[in-house]
Amino acid sequence: MNSTIIKLAAQALLGRRRFWLLLAFPVLLIALTVTVAALTDAEAAWPLLPGLGYPVVLPLVAVLAASSVLGPEVDDGSIVYLLSKPVSRHSVALSKWVVAWAATMLAGALPLYVSALVAGGGDRALAAGLAAVVAGTTYSALFLAVSAVTRHAVIVSLLFVLIWEGLLGNLLSGVAWLSVAQWGLRIGHEISTELPDPTNLPWAIAASLVVTVGGVWFAGDRLRSFTLRGED
Amino acid sequence: MADRAGVIHDLGYRHYDGPRDGVATIARTLFVTGLRHAFGLGRSGKSKILPFLLLGLSTLPAAIVVGVVTLVGLSDLPLTYAGYTNQTQLLVSLFAAAQAPVLFSRDLRYRSIVLYLARPLPAYVVALTRWASLTTALLVFTVLPVLVLYAGGLLAGLDVSDQTTDLLKAVALLLLVSSMLAGITGFISSVSLRRGFAVVGSIVALVVVPGVVTAVQAIASEEGAEQVGVAAGLASPWSLTNGLASAWDAGVEVFTPPEGGWVVAYLAVAVLIAGVGLAAIVARFLKVGSQ
Repeated sequence: MNSTIIKLAAQALLGRRRFWLLLAFPVLLIALTVTVAALTDAEAAWPLLPGLGYPVVLPLVAVLAASSVLGPEVDDGSIVYLLSKPVSRHSVALSKWVVAWAATMLAGALPLYVSALVAGGGDRALAAGLAAVVAGTTYSALFLAVSAVTRHAVIVSLLFVLIWEGLLGNLLSGVAWLSVAQWGLRIGHEISTELPDPTNLPWAIAASLVVTVGGVWFAGDRLRSFTLRGED
Repeated sequence: MADRAGVIHDLGYRHYDGPRDGVATIARTLFVTGLRHAFGLGRSGKSKILPFLLLGLSTLPAAIVVGVVTLVGLSDLPLTYAGYTNQTQLLVSLFAAAQAPVLFSRDLRYRSIVLYLARPLPAYVVALTRWASLTTALLVFTVLPVLVLYAGGLLAGLDVSDQTTDLLKAVALLLLVSSMLAGITGFISSVSLRRGFAVVGSIVALVVVPGVVTAVQAIASEEGAEQVGVAAGLASPWSLTNGLASAWDAGVEVFTPPEGGWVVAYLAVAVLIAGVGLAAIVARFLKVGSQ
């Protein structure tokens, strides 16, 4: 890891408007949960988490964070200045992932846990928080790898989240085996049985680990053989 | 040369005295090019993948439904035309979010807008043309699967007048939702010129906000506060469309269906969103064009 790259990536992430969009997600989620919990009761606010917070807000934060640390530089070509420095490409990828991961945790997993506390708390909240940490970690590595492969990283990542995990995941239960969100839920299920039990535990842990480590490594590998292309 | 209508750059070598096409022709050409670009036609092979993948995904279920209706011999479609678009709204939103930057961001980001404005086409016409291209592209995207259903249904011998009434309701709704989505995504893409940023912004407006509205409506319906849910429906393009569809009896179920004066309000707000989006795009192009 390289502290300068971490600092630069953090600046790119927190710079100007992107920061406000990133901040909007946790604010929206917590405000909505608090409002619903205050107007009705905590139990009525809980469905917001499995319905909106976990499957939509968390991955969107991860998409935004992962594509913001790498995307703009690839977009305007300034990444060559970074790659021309005598720093291992894997270390570049790892440093960028650390920033994306931290942002996903702060703007995605933490607000989800806070909302879960508002909506009843207890084991269930802890389980939801753990699921969000696991899924957020895996998502950020996966989306970083996607950002290193294609210019259309945001769209590809959104297709994965909304179409594969969301639309098809709801229709075909087998998708759970290849769904980051479901792996996180399965690990959270160990703490509270209120979370669903879509796959088996060893698979969920192994798959999350493989995708996280593999994603960061693959992003570094892509940067190693990086070619600049024009707009297509 | 004060009376010339079109522009062919006169570099002083040889004059052109033939017929000149006016603003209308330029606008029409720009519209057709924009419409083609929205589907990746006339662009690189890679740019065709996403729009046609999404189009395929949203049309495939229609073809399957037609096949089932024909083979099993049902006397009615299992879902209405408006209900079909409701099922595929995620795909429509993704298409709008992904393709709006193609039409709205690139010219502004690379300043090639200057070249368009060097022609006798005023900035507001460029903006209107772009919006019309995106609206038409969205309309094509949403109407195509519905037409597959309709054609299949008629060939399978369903009642013509029933199906046509349903289809007309659906097309009216699709026209409304297409112009709303084009206004919203077009404005977002013309303000945030970074592609990824514009896409995420559009997804927030077209997926997250409707998701929040649906959640609020579900809770309101459960708690017996129907009016809150109906009012919340005014906040997103999809909840407006679905609310209108349920009020027009077009086969869409919502948690809190609007009634009476609310239907008028829904229609008015929908038209307002489309209009404000369009006006904002025009204002944006005028500002950028004058820089």
